[in-house]
Amino acid sequence: MLTPLETTLLGIMMMVIMLGMGASLTFRDFLIAFKKPKGVLVGLLCQFGIMPFLGYLLAVVLGLPPALAVGLILMGCMPGGTTSNIFTYFSKGVLALSIMMTSVSTLCAVVFVPALIAFYSKLAGVTGEFAIPAANVAQVLVVLLVPTVIGMVLRKANPNVGATVELIGSMLGIFVILFLIVSWVPRNYQLLLSTPWYVFFAAIGLGLFGMVLGYFLSRAVRQDLNRSRTISLETGIQNGPLAVLIVTLTFTGEMQQQVLLVPVLYSLFIVLSSSAVTVWYRSMATREALARDAAKVATA
Amino acid sequence: MDTRFSAYDNKPWLAAYGSSISQTLPPARHPNLGHLVHSACQRFAEQTAFTCVVPNGMNGSLSYRQLADASDAFAAYLRIDCKLEAGDRVAVQLPNGLAYPVVAFGVFKAGCVLVNTNPLYTASEMLHQFNDSGAKVLVIVDMFADKLAAVVPQSKITHVVLAAVSEMFPALPNLIVRGVQKVWSKVLPPIPALAVPVLRLSAALAAGTASAKATPGVVQTYWRGVAASDVAALQYTGGTTGVSKAAMLTHANFLANIEQVLAMGRSHMGSNECVLTALPLYHIFAFVANLLCFVEIGARNILVPSPRPVQNLQRAIENYPITWITGVNTLFNGLMNEEWFTAFPPKHLKAAIAGGTALHSAVAARWQSITGTRVAEGFGLTECSPVVTFNPLSGVAKPDSIGIPVPGTGVRLVQDDGQPAAVGEPGELIVQGPQTMAGYWNRADETAIVQKDGWLYTGDVAVMDAQGYFRIVDRKKDLVLVSGFNVYPNEVEDALSKMGAILEAAVVGIPDPRSGEGVRAYVVKNPDFEGELTAAAVIAHCKSLLTDYKIPKSVVFRAELPKTPVGKILRKDLKAEVKTEFAAR
Repeated sequence: MLTPLETTLLGIMMMVIMLGMGASLTFRDFLIAFKKPKGVLVGLLCQFGIMPFLGYLLAVVLGLPPALAVGLILMGCMPGGTTSNIFTYFSKGVLALSIMMTSVSTLCAVVFVPALIAFYSKLAGVTGEFAIPAANVAQVLVVLLVPTVIGMVLRKANPNVGATVELIGSMLGIFVILFLIVSWVPRNYQLLLSTPWYVFFAAIGLGLFGMVLGYFLSRAVRQDLNRSRTISLETGIQNGPLAVLIVTLTFTGEMQQQVLLVPVLYSLFIVLSSSAVTVWYRSMATREALARDAAKVATA
Repeated sequence: MDTRFSAYDNKPWLAAYGSSISQTLPPARHPNLGHLVHSACQRFAEQTAFTCVVPNGMNGSLSYRQLADASDAFAAYLRIDCKLEAGDRVAVQLPNGLAYPVVAFGVFKAGCVLVNTNPLYTASEMLHQFNDSGAKVLVIVDMFADKLAAVVPQSKITHVVLAAVSEMFPALPNLIVRGVQKVWSKVLPPIPALAVPVLRLSAALAAGTASAKATPGVVQTYWRGVAASDVAALQYTGGTTGVSKAAMLTHANFLANIEQVLAMGRSHMGSNECVLTALPLYHIFAFVANLLCFVEIGARNILVPSPRPVQNLQRAIENYPITWITGVNTLFNGLMNEEWFTAFPPKHLKAAIAGGTALHSAVAARWQSITGTRVAEGFGLTECSPVVTFNPLSGVAKPDSIGIPVPGTGVRLVQDDGQPAAVGEPGELIVQGPQTMAGYWNRADETAIVQKDGWLYTGDVAVMDAQGYFRIVDRKKDLVLVSGFNVYPNEVEDALSKMGAILEAAVVGIPDPRSGEGVRAYVVKNPDFEGELTAAAVIAHCKSLLTDYKIPKSVVFRAELPKTPVGKILRKDLKAEVKTEFAAR
């Protein structure tokens, strides 16, 4: 489990990450998203339709015990992670769409996440002490909106400060995962060794299956290849640190340890799997990105 | 006077000048460019002159006062520390950034000659340009410092100055931009050891400031002696004929062209203009239109180091009250394919200026409907510093037209036999005016080909209508001669671009045993087009729009077309391919 100091530190780092996410946004971005909502809507569908269901499905099919099941469902219900923007950047995806999806899903999370967690936990038969109180989740998410808005204001007031905060925020996204590796893995290697294969399968599969389903759903609703790849990455990459934070704020002791297992494993492996996918997407995107740049006005 | 040309020499376009454009060219306001910069910096001292914006929105700015001090320091560095004489050449190989105006204006203030060099040049291209111009000092962006080892020892360069993209940014953004360049994108190569001194720009400016201290006012003595007829810049051109040669552009050439451009636009310009400079300043178009003209009126230049991908422009356009944009067809087209641009076009925009290459009428029409402002197309060439014609900003602008000649400019259209082309008929466009170059540097033979009897032959074929508006038909040397019929590649390319499945196309001639030459189309498929695109479909499309001899005999599909840094399609590269292809047969 994480010490109170580590939990506090994690909370502070989450604040900075959200500050950075806010600094990557303008109020105009939201207006654009509402004007042409299709991409973002597809993203939301993937984020809050596919992923929670996938978490639930894997938990049921693999017959996970309640502590792991709730961790997996929680992971599936999370909004998009800010690290997805970095991977989108490197895969030459549509960065604006990725940022927009992360932001909109984070905003919508205040309503969707508590409801989805309650729904799927109940469906999976997780009750009593392992149930995550909806109010807790909503509270954390609302608190995180404050730095997001501050970030947006910062960026408008001073682009140099805004861009600096944005950069620090996205680097911290990677750092938090390193922080988890350094602080959590050495203390729990025994646990890792005794963890059965299907738990690894669930933690890794959530991200990978999410990317595959996200891609095909986007293609099915006629998003172009590049947007589909962006939505795919965005769908698979969840906000792992946020899940860890919610778990540490909700559970203590041995219970916290158990519930934390899937979110931590997910966070560790998503970095590896999305890196691999990014390299693959990048090679596919190279030609299309050039063409998009020079795309011409459609002829009448 | 040669009365045969009265249709042109009577300047039918003067009627279109209306009340806002001066009928005759007012005399130049400055004796030389050093004075122009000095005067602007005094008049607008407290205003922001330049802001450089990198893709993440980080930025740095220079006020006119800072610009004055820094360019003085660089002039002193050139004359005192590098021991240059008036007229010595300084090669400047920088992308858009705060270093560019400091260095370029420093060169003018030193009475030296600016040699604009494309930062993306290869070592052999650099070597040709430096040795041909005899450059003694090179200012280069540090991203390409690795090329120095192969170039400097074989040239006459005695001093190298390195500048960063984030030069003169505030400390923290500078640190982050350089950190990202070094660690993240790995674009900062190690500096090779050279036999000549290599300095950072900041060190060169410090050295210049220290050297000038001994004799206050020394910098003014450098440029006060410069005559208007002295060469200000060697601007390399003529990639089209294969050999890169330098047009000698004098202070008078530039000063005249500035007045000519301002005459066309002044009625739309106030005292608080903000111009987006996405095109490279080393190119003659942005160098005159953005740098010189807008400095003369005290505007703020928003410099973007790299406009590709076009997303790089987002923060610059969002964060500053842009009133003017200069661009080429590809840039306008790219912007209009960005959601952030079409949803919130710059709301302070007054007009966009297009040049460099033909502006497609579809692009111009869409620009007008999205931004609510006009995109005015002009025509120019390096040899004319560069502007020859321009569409008036008020009154009539004609689609697909390059507009009317700017004040003080004579234009004629001549046929191959030297006879005037009738109104409405195509002929080679020739120019007479204060903006035409002094000649090609060290190439009297090449100069003699383009400058005859006081006229500059542009090699572009155009037609003039009764109102004196010109329209470019094509490059003379790109003509394809099919069974004695002239085929203008532009016309066939236009027809091809009307096919939805085609993203872009270029047309060149190929040898043909029966017709002498035949038309070949190089075609890039539109990625939005689903399905297969066949040569037969392309030819069928052309048949619906063109007469027989203009229809491509051969269609070649390509993933992309060769282009210049400003986005002009390089037909000469395709012609070279054709030549090798058919030589092998």
